[in-house]
Amino acid sequence: MLALDLLANGLIYGCFYALMAVGLAMIFGVLKVVNFAHGEFFMIGAYTYVLVSLKLGVSPWLALPGAAFAGALLGWLVERLLMRPLYASYASWGFMKDEYAVVVTFGLSLLLINLVDKIVGPYSFRGPPLVDIGRFAVGPVLLTGQKAIAAAVAVALMVALALFIKRSVWGLQIQAVAQNRLGASLAGIDATRTTSLIFAVSGMLAALSGALLAPLVNPSPDIGAFPAVKSYVIVVLGGMGSIWGAMIAALILGVSEAFFSVYVSYDYRDAFGLVILVAVLLLRPQGLLGEKGREV
Amino acid sequence: MSLLSVSKLRVQFGGLVAVDDVSFDLREGEILGLIGPNGSGKTTLLNLLSGYIAPLSGRVRMGDADITGWAPAPLALRGVLRMFQMTRVFTRMSAYDNLLTAGMARGLKEAESARRADALVEELTLGPVQFLDAGQLSGGQRKLLEFGMCFIEPPRIAMLDEPFAAVHPVMREVMAKFIRSRHAQGATFLLVSHDMPIIVDLCQRAVCMNAGRVIAVGDIHAVLKNHDVIEAYLGETAAGDEPPSLEVSG
Amino acid sequence: MKPSRRLWADRLRFDMAAALAVCALLALVPLVVRGPYALGIVVVSIYFAIVALAWNLLAGYAGQFSLAPAAFAMIGGYTTALLGHYAHVPLALGIPAAVVATALLGWVLGKLVLNLSGPYLSLTTLAFAEIARVVIGNSHEFTRGDQGMHVATLTQSRVGYYYIFLGVLVAVLLLLYALLRGRLGRFMMAVRDDPVGASSRGIDVVRVKSIAFWVSCAICGLAGSLYGTFSQLVSPELGLLQQTGLVLSMVVIGGMSSLTGALAGALLVYMGSEWMRAFGEVQTIVFALLVILFARYLPGGLWGLVAARQRKGAP
Repeated sequence: MLALDLLANGLIYGCFYALMAVGLAMIFGVLKVVNFAHGEFFMIGAYTYVLVSLKLGVSPWLALPGAAFAGALLGWLVERLLMRPLYASYASWGFMKDEYAVVVTFGLSLLLINLVDKIVGPYSFRGPPLVDIGRFAVGPVLLTGQKAIAAAVAVALMVALALFIKRSVWGLQIQAVAQNRLGASLAGIDATRTTSLIFAVSGMLAALSGALLAPLVNPSPDIGAFPAVKSYVIVVLGGMGSIWGAMIAALILGVSEAFFSVYVSYDYRDAFGLVILVAVLLLRPQGLLGEKGREV
Repeated sequence: MSLLSVSKLRVQFGGLVAVDDVSFDLREGEILGLIGPNGSGKTTLLNLLSGYIAPLSGRVRMGDADITGWAPAPLALRGVLRMFQMTRVFTRMSAYDNLLTAGMARGLKEAESARRADALVEELTLGPVQFLDAGQLSGGQRKLLEFGMCFIEPPRIAMLDEPFAAVHPVMREVMAKFIRSRHAQGATFLLVSHDMPIIVDLCQRAVCMNAGRVIAVGDIHAVLKNHDVIEAYLGETAAGDEPPSLEVSG
Repeated sequence: MKPSRRLWADRLRFDMAAALAVCALLALVPLVVRGPYALGIVVVSIYFAIVALAWNLLAGYAGQFSLAPAAFAMIGGYTTALLGHYAHVPLALGIPAAVVATALLGWVLGKLVLNLSGPYLSLTTLAFAEIARVVIGNSHEFTRGDQGMHVATLTQSRVGYYYIFLGVLVAVLLLLYALLRGRLGRFMMAVRDDPVGASSRGIDVVRVKSIAFWVSCAICGLAGSLYGTFSQLVSPELGLLQQTGLVLSMVVIGGMSSLTGALAGALLVYMGSEWMRAFGEVQTIVFALLVILFARYLPGGLWGLVAARQRKGAP
């Protein structure tokens, strides 16, 4: 049955989107800014996975942590070098911090895309799959081994993240800093280190998302653009800053995109997400699970 | 004569009634104090009166006009001006330009704004910093600048939200002097403050709120001696004891 | 009025004088540069200068950080192209039509983002821009999709086009000066610095934002339409997010909230990147790096350095 197949595929892609989007949600929750270079974490993860497993001849299962590390490192560097001014006392764009974030992360995005293009070349080479299972059927649904495994890994990571946030000391610190930066630091939490951690985790998750999808698409330097846009849609739909919201919204987007592309239009499926974005921002800017702020 | 009459104003956020059936009159030419403990709804009431929140029910009348639910800009053009607890100035233009802009926003021509700005800079002792970007001014200087921006064209009603909070005593004197001089020229003020000595010094009458309701209105001394008011601030006194006085000597 | 170089009116006048000086220099360029290819590069950089000035009005002066300038240039170009192709509308009407269409759409966008700020506003304008690009790019029967559409041209002479663009640049500068010098300019900056405070002083924030949007978008549309007639082709590539990124970098490097900054930034970045092509395709890397460094360490841009020296010299 087509609908069931669409549903399954939609949910699977939703898992990938979720992995990508939660990091963005976390960053927004803490800094209230959008990271326009988020797509490039995805791209770096994909490339690291492909290069490590192909050039170093390592098992793809080892290339995954390699990608994770690359993403975490990049995230940490971005926070350390570029994002500090947003909340450290020497803010020079102080009164335009949103704009600073846009400009700096936009520039970073361009830089990374073109650096990779220059160093590795624009040719895309598909990464090796994690498992060498071809197509198989689960009931009426057709899957490939890579898709299934990748989805499973994604779900496992989501669960791990949820536990981490809810149970671990670091997770609680993240929640505290997200709710009230000043209050948290007064309570003794090192807000700067927590923010570093959030960026590293965000980068890591996005990179893993790229690595998991690398065998399914052809990585090219600008491959991060579409996942990034979808992440924005998801984060806004779920409620800026809400991790649960991002996960739910990711699944919703995955499924509705799948149905839209078949029943309405394949060409415009990317515009579909954007229309959702605009609609949410206009009608219910706090998204599904976000909170409304007070201005005066 | 009543310049502003507030009648049965009510607003609630979720389940919390922040302003509950509030009614009072603001008389022309008076300085009315709006007092009450933290969380009593004073700022919410101010937000209602200055157009930042719309009331659920109730009326606000200025003279003959019904201004209930008007937005901030039309209110300002009508002469209802408001100063904020967290001082609001335009950080990336010079202090002088802030005044010019405020004047032009109220309808003055640039030349006239400039003339008045010169006078205000003098009066508010902002001469040395008038050409610095407003963002570079100290907190107290910004407050003075905000005063200037409100008064560049005499308002009919000026609502001041905790203007003396965290301000240097010297600045405080300049501000108080400014308020007194404008008052002498006939301006009407609604003054929200926790600073009792200043309230007693400047205000003839006061409205006291607690938990969203008005619990006392009238002469400032009478209000401060009012049992409910003292209880709201300091808690209950044992029966028979003389309640402490709110009129702390400044 | 106090004689000082630090008042807004004086800063603007100095800025405008510098911008006009740059235009004067530009007027002499065709006397020195003969090759049509090289001249073409300067023409395109003037196109970018016009878009950069338009975006600077909206973002630098009014504080609305839109990510849609390239999209509006594209819409302007396509308006002229579509009218010319399907209705045989001559350019004398086709170009003004582009201005009107983009002004209208700009006004609509302004209304959409009225209550949004910061990242929400940027994301919405980004979505708007991308939707426009995807729709135009995918409407194959109507717009020929990625292949682009042919546009008529005003003149075959490259030098002629050069002076047309220069003329439009000067006209746009004069328009912006008139706008910024008056009440609207001040109100825009007030809205940028503090919308809540601005409304409390009597400024109609909605009206100010609206005007900033439709004027900015109309100028982008004009630039795009002209560019289309110059290159005799419009394609969805005009509206790529990367083009907007380029405009952003030009203004950040040149100096936000200044006319000369946007103008000089555009010229330097575009001509610089073309010059760098000779050394291998590193221009985007270099400029992306510059944008980051400028944003981080020199937020006032190049003009910021000039303006700071000028203020120090004030009496």
